[in-house]
Amino acid sequence: MKYVDAGYGIVLGILFLYGVQLVWRRRRWTRLVARVEASRPPADPGTADR
Amino acid sequence: MTTTVPVTAAEPAATPAALLPPGLVQSRRMVWTTRIIGMAAAVTVALTVWLGLWVTPPDKVQGDLVRLVYLHPGVAWVALYLAFGLAAVASLLYLWPRTRSLFWDRLAAAAVEVGVVFNVCTLISGSIWGRPTWGVWWAWDARLTLTAVLLILFLGYLTLRRVPAEPDVRAKRCAYAALFAAVDVPLVHFSVVWWKTLHQGATVLNANLSPEIHGSMAWTLLLGFVALTLVFVWMLLVRYRIGALEDHLGSGELEVALLERRNEGAEAAR
Repeated sequence: MKYVDAGYGIVLGILFLYGVQLVWRRRRWTRLVARVEASRPPADPGTADR
Repeated sequence: MTTTVPVTAAEPAATPAALLPPGLVQSRRMVWTTRIIGMAAAVTVALTVWLGLWVTPPDKVQGDLVRLVYLHPGVAWVALYLAFGLAAVASLLYLWPRTRSLFWDRLAAAAVEVGVVFNVCTLISGSIWGRPTWGVWWAWDARLTLTAVLLILFLGYLTLRRVPAEPDVRAKRCAYAALFAAVDVPLVHFSVVWWKTLHQGATVLNANLSPEIHGSMAWTLLLGFVALTLVFVWMLLVRYRIGALEDHLGSGELEVALLERRNEGAEAAR
């Protein structure tokens, strides 16, 4: 059974770690985009129609 | 005399998702669809593991090693046919002038990245099964070698995506690369038919379309396919979302760098 256990452990472990990494990356990028958007100066209403 | 201090309810801090520009806000339906697929994937994977390791009987010839079969074909199915197949179709749709949209480029990129992870799992699980069955961890067999070549080709695709270029130029370049790499997919599939290989032929999708596996073993194998397909769909949705966020800031990399430096400076000043 040691090969079977190793196979399940490694494959499911890789998928689990990749899944966790995806969630972390999504959270990090969401924060970064939100921060950039918040730091952008508001559009000048006087130039909006030009 | 007492003075009263006006009490105002503290405003709840806005979550990062609430601060996103309108084009990047995900609908509630999309958020819940992703969550439900993720939960369904976790449940079906757990069921496959339970059935595969404890419920199904050992095989007459392979013994307990047959339990790896509930996992290995499933990850190979996702990598080769779903992920790389989808990447090829999405790349073709990007190159077709009528359907050209960065949506297809982003979808192809997401499919390739997830596919590479599943391809690695395919090679590892196959190798672990091969050691006690064939007596070697690796053989330069046609199917094994072509699967390894597929991994290298799609790693090349991911490297190509990192080369700085205008979004359209990068998308076109990567679409051609994906189509070139995807030529290897049918070669991997038919390798066991065209050449005399150590790897066994197809158990389910064989020429007669009559599966050579039955009973609880067949059901567990089928559940494994469903579980890993759900895992793939969930990962694809999350990876696509990351791509959309990355592309939004892609053109303003300097802006991001400045913001990060400003944050570092603010933290150092504290």
